[in-house]
Amino acid sequence: MSKRLKALVWLTSLLITAGTVVLIVVSIVVTDDHPLSTLSPVGRQGRDIAELINPIFIVAGVVFFLVQGAVLALWWRYRVAGSDSGDGEFGYYDDDEFPEQTHGNNRLEIAWTIVPTVLLAVISVFTLVALFALDDVKASDEDVVVTVIGQQWWWEYQYHLDGNTDSPPDFVTANELVIPVGVDIALDIKSRDVIHSFWIPKLNGKRDAVPGRSHDWVIQADEPGRFRGQCTEFCGLSHGYMKMVAVALPTAEFAQWRDNQITPADIPQEGTPAGDGWATFSQQCANCHVINGVTSAANRGGDPDSAPDGWDIYGEFNGPSAGTYTDELVAGAAPNLTHLMTRGTFAGSAFDLYLNAGDHVPYLNLADQATLNRSELEAWIYNAPERKPADADDLRGMPARTGLSPEDIDDVVAFLSTLD
Amino acid sequence: MTITDRTITAPEETLALPAGPAIAHRPLGVFTRPQGSEGWRSWLFTVDHKRIGIMYGAAALFFFLVGGAEALFIRLQLATPNGSVIGAGTYNGVFTMHGVTMVFLVIMPMAAAFANYLLPLQVGARDVAFPRLNAFSFWCFLAGGMLLTSSILVGGWFQNAPDGGWFAYAPNTGLLFSPSKGIDFYAVGLQILGIASLVSAINLIVTVLNMRTPGMSFFRMPVLTWMLLITQFLLLFALPVITVALFLLMFDRLWDANFFNVEAGADPLLWQHLFWIFGHPEVYILILPAFGIVSEIIPTFSRKPLFGYHFMVASGIAIGFMGWGVWAHHMFTSGVGPLSVAAFSVSTMFIAVPTGVKILNWLATMYRGRLRFTTPMLYAVGVVSMFTIGGLSGVTHSIAPSDTQQTDTYYIVAHFHYVIFGGALLGLFGGFYYWWPKAFGYKLNEGWGKASFWVMLIGFNFTFGPMHILGLQGMSRRIATYRADEGFALWNMVATISSFVIALGVIMFFWNVYVSTRNWRRAGRPDVGPDPWDARGLEWMTASPVPEHNFDEDIEVDRLDHFWHRKYGKDENGRIVRAAPTSEIAHDGSNTNVHLPSPSYWPIVLGGGILLVGYGIIYNLWLAAAGLVFLVASIYGWILEPADDPDAGGHHDDHGDDHGDPDSNGGPSGNGELATADEPAETEEATVG
Repeated sequence: MSKRLKALVWLTSLLITAGTVVLIVVSIVVTDDHPLSTLSPVGRQGRDIAELINPIFIVAGVVFFLVQGAVLALWWRYRVAGSDSGDGEFGYYDDDEFPEQTHGNNRLEIAWTIVPTVLLAVISVFTLVALFALDDVKASDEDVVVTVIGQQWWWEYQYHLDGNTDSPPDFVTANELVIPVGVDIALDIKSRDVIHSFWIPKLNGKRDAVPGRSHDWVIQADEPGRFRGQCTEFCGLSHGYMKMVAVALPTAEFAQWRDNQITPADIPQEGTPAGDGWATFSQQCANCHVINGVTSAANRGGDPDSAPDGWDIYGEFNGPSAGTYTDELVAGAAPNLTHLMTRGTFAGSAFDLYLNAGDHVPYLNLADQATLNRSELEAWIYNAPERKPADADDLRGMPARTGLSPEDIDDVVAFLSTLD
Repeated sequence: MTITDRTITAPEETLALPAGPAIAHRPLGVFTRPQGSEGWRSWLFTVDHKRIGIMYGAAALFFFLVGGAEALFIRLQLATPNGSVIGAGTYNGVFTMHGVTMVFLVIMPMAAAFANYLLPLQVGARDVAFPRLNAFSFWCFLAGGMLLTSSILVGGWFQNAPDGGWFAYAPNTGLLFSPSKGIDFYAVGLQILGIASLVSAINLIVTVLNMRTPGMSFFRMPVLTWMLLITQFLLLFALPVITVALFLLMFDRLWDANFFNVEAGADPLLWQHLFWIFGHPEVYILILPAFGIVSEIIPTFSRKPLFGYHFMVASGIAIGFMGWGVWAHHMFTSGVGPLSVAAFSVSTMFIAVPTGVKILNWLATMYRGRLRFTTPMLYAVGVVSMFTIGGLSGVTHSIAPSDTQQTDTYYIVAHFHYVIFGGALLGLFGGFYYWWPKAFGYKLNEGWGKASFWVMLIGFNFTFGPMHILGLQGMSRRIATYRADEGFALWNMVATISSFVIALGVIMFFWNVYVSTRNWRRAGRPDVGPDPWDARGLEWMTASPVPEHNFDEDIEVDRLDHFWHRKYGKDENGRIVRAAPTSEIAHDGSNTNVHLPSPSYWPIVLGGGILLVGYGIIYNLWLAAAGLVFLVASIYGWILEPADDPDAGGHHDDHGDDHGDPDSNGGPSGNGELATADEPAETEEATVG
């Protein structure tokens, strides 16, 4: 093969390789439909971040091709053949030719110090502007403020409809954060035990939930939809199963949802499967799980306004060790189940509550029993640590209830199905 | 200070070793020093920097296999959605141990292997400044490594392995949330490793500062020496910080202190600051030695001096300083406040500048060179290419707002593997191929070497390249599994398959070592010569493998790349011609008249004492107390040990001396004139070292 032909083959294959890489990258960005993707933001903050970083990705891509191209060009142009054993007269070389012995070039050095410095200085200006803009998270007073509390291994949301996080929340829910579409919702991110990180990639970057601290954050969604999230600070055994969902609803539907959430649940009639399930639940589950209007009534002789020891009726723990992470608190904190059936997922959003529901998840009291993911729910009640790793012996995670018979579990599910 | 009574025969007019009987009178309880330079015992008690370097390398390769196996388990667990190969509990231990092993037990000791072996040679010294301390560093490192690795096995498979991530964020590492012994192993093991690195850092800094051969001014030192020196300074200042953090953690867990107890008012960010003030310089501790190695290999196989030597040194120093001002870029989402985030975001961006200078200088060295792509050169150029990718992704997450999307995702995993595997590890492997003939007297096979390189490189890119995509698609780090509908299955499967391609490349490296050794032995152990690559540094100016005393005589260095300039000059036309054959310039190692420090029992004994204390702290304080007694006793043994042994042969007597002049420096020669050949006299000598 002549040298020219060889060069042509090299160049062609290189171009094909580079083209393939570019094609893969472009197709990944363009056809992105991943539920957690950062590449196709749907919220204002996520979009601001993408608009900041996308041009930088392109600059980095150009530098990438320049440097790799230079490496290959130097390789191609200046490589020499030689011995592989190094035993020849000139070692690994075929001859004793030496190239010109250049030791450096100060102008060049200064140039390639200054050029990247200037480039980075420009980038840093854009970065700082975006950074301070994104940090300005104060939402107006009328807006909903949600206190987001991470714990092993699920999320609790306390809704403050008056924007005042010091007063008791208007209602408490878990794992699925429902927000009205198009509005900046202020979050107040906390933790009850270890560090977690709240992240809905399509809406905004992540913010850590650090025990003892309170972090302001904000999310906004341009359009209605379900946006997945994942705890992104390693938080122990079941970290990978600690997920969440942000649900953006049209304003009217959000108001409807909100009004429903404020309503307490009713104790089902005795003698029905749901009634039997309630009996089981009150013995087996109510120590940790709060159901507004139901668990408190059971534990306090029918007075719905009082709550179990240390807990107020909103599921907020304010007992002797409130705000700390003692054994008791780790044990006590479990999701408020008042409107369980209006959520699309359960167990730290690790499992879907409905099958094949698509986007049609019943946030508005529309629980369709036919699509209920019954087998997963039953398996979870029967032996939760087997479904999702937990350290229930050390009071972290939901303990197994393998003493329950299949009928008991059917009844508990029947009871839970009333929580809509 | 102790006095040893003994009798020596005085030097006669000739410098021949005295052969007369030596009678030693030793005080009670003082051990003589071990002797001999053959057999396994001589390795246990050696204080020779080269043997210690080789042991560091061997230990690091062993731990590399352990850490690599852990990596494969990680990939198997993540190969498919809802993976259940090892389960979440074991997975957390496996990824923690993978990180801790690769950082503290593989990359750092591999760099220590090169530092120990090459630093004294490159500055023309006979050994490091404190040879016994050097041996202690190694045994202390091995004790820490064994303690940490044993956590995989004690009490059941991964039952007591650290499982809080290598970064071990409080309060998840508190007793309440991590009740197993794992975090105790982490805290104690890393403290022991810290002692080893700290001692070694001081030793090597003193060596470079004080023991350079005449004429070896700072700006005549090879870039590798410079990078290793900077690394030692980083270690010197970074390790105390992590040690403080680990000490606090240990007290929290074992003795109910409240340093990280939120209930008692602690702020968990304290741990993050302490960890990353160490953790970020640590990144440069990992990469700078590889930068140095690349800076040695590329000039050799370009047949050109390194382009911009002073700028390469200066950029290394700049990285060393700037590395201290960027730690909080690991904490952009931790809630450190917008002003801190802004400051650290900008400082992090600009650390790319000195790194870029290095890349461009390597390319400029290759420009118009005569490039021979031997195995070491492939690795070196691989570093240039792969590190650039890691550097560019690094710049993208110095953009703090964007980092809130990227941090703790697989994008970061991809980034630091391009830096640590594509940068540090490829560089260190290149170093293995490059200095193998220097250390062992034969070259590794080029064919297997190149094949292994390409297999590793391809496997590497298809393992970690797709992780960029996974990270941007939202896959978090440290999750034991993912849901099927999250769309991560394809690239995870690609990464898992490719990780086994890397494993194949690694196996090919070990096979290469075996085959090359076997072939060399079968061929009757031919001499590779002092300078098989036609290289530039002083280490090539002595025989291969390097004799125990390094150089037959002190080298008077007159410029950078002194050895190369001894080999080559210019003729009247300005053409570069051979000035003298290597055999005339290089030392053949025949000088037996060099005094060297004797081997010692105490470094390994002291290392054993530390191991006992370590297990004792974790399991039983009585054991720790016993270990402490043992440790103090061995320190006394160390102090009381005679400076040398009159019965020792070879270089380890104190009769000859470095410069052939019996009265020129310390040792017993000052007393030599008191003694006569006929009438042996008692001399006094203070032990040193």
